[in-house]
Amino acid sequence: MVLPTPEGSTLEMDPMEYTLRKRLPRKLPKRRNDVYVNMKTDFKAQLARCQKLLDSHREICIHGLGLAINRAINIALQLQTSSQGALQLAANTSTVELIDDLEPEDPDEAGEPLTRTRNNSAIHIKVFYPNP
Amino acid sequence: MELSGSRDACQTTNVSASSPLLKQTHASGFKKVCRIEEESTCPFPGLPAGVLEMRVKEGSKIRNLMGFAMARMQDEPGDMGQTGLRRVVFSGSGRAVTKTITCAEIMKRKIGGLHQMTKLQYKGLREIWESQEGGDSEVTVHRTLPSISILLSKDPLDPLEPGYQPPENALWSERNGGEASQAAEKRSVDCSETPAEPQAKRVYQFGSCLLQTLAGPGSGSPANSGSARRLTAHAERAVFLSEIPAC
Repeated sequence: MVLPTPEGSTLEMDPMEYTLRKRLPRKLPKRRNDVYVNMKTDFKAQLARCQKLLDSHREICIHGLGLAINRAINIALQLQTSSQGALQLAANTSTVELIDDLEPEDPDEAGEPLTRTRNNSAIHIKVFYPNP
Repeated sequence: MELSGSRDACQTTNVSASSPLLKQTHASGFKKVCRIEEESTCPFPGLPAGVLEMRVKEGSKIRNLMGFAMARMQDEPGDMGQTGLRRVVFSGSGRAVTKTITCAEIMKRKIGGLHQMTKLQYKGLREIWESQEGGDSEVTVHRTLPSISILLSKDPLDPLEPGYQPPENALWSERNGGEASQAAEKRSVDCSETPAEPQAKRVYQFGSCLLQTLAGPGSGSPANSGSARRLTAHAERAVFLSEIPAC
């Protein structure tokens, strides 16, 4: 296995294979009116859930990570159009760190599990009825 | 779904992007997108002129975008008497939204103390498809895409406007433990009881930024349940990881 040289040259990908496991992003403590959007659940189901929460709460917060940013924005804009402009949107963006675990394929090869960190974008949209 | 009849010799049908007719166009030889026209809902809501506008497209390279934007923002010796450029707007729609947000985040990371204003709206798009065979019929497709515009400014913006986000230096710093504990104090009372792992601190940082920027009325109550839930979430994640089969 090739270790990074002190000169700071790039780490060479060694011939041993690694399995990539993505760690789950940190799940924040969830208030009742927090909605996390993903790409696995049906769009209409998430939209209906947000609509139902909006009826009981005056404001909800929609979070989206990576590819789900588009869907989160879509849900928020759909809620706004179906409320005939009574709702207001406030969007905040942030960066989330995601950690991948690289594990050696062959348990005989004494490779150490590496971790790789990458950054992803996230959006948090507050949907609320403005105070009169 | 809108279908309007032909007006002149060449048949023109208007469809909305979700109609089943669009799938027929893919199948029946309307292969190429010949012309794309975008409806101009351009102006950022209520912004003065003299601002650098970066239009992020789906195929834009972040390296090129950031090189240009950073050079313009950091260009100190301005010929107008003021120090370089004070504001920049990143805008993108459809598949470019994520890239737009990434560009803005990278700029915020490299240049600190930037105030951010985020606006969301729908952008209309009119595509004109022409038939490959026959050549005398064309279809106009209307799409509405979600679009985002992010304004980054060195000057302070109106904090009361929805979509405002203060500079990150005020809320958290990545490696600084002191600020993390200070921010965590604002969030929950019983944070001092939890062990000070670096991972837990990051949760505080992200969560406190979130709750501070949103400042909802319910930010006080979930803090108590939040700390307990965070510890179990950490344990759950460790269990989850071991149960996932190797992919």
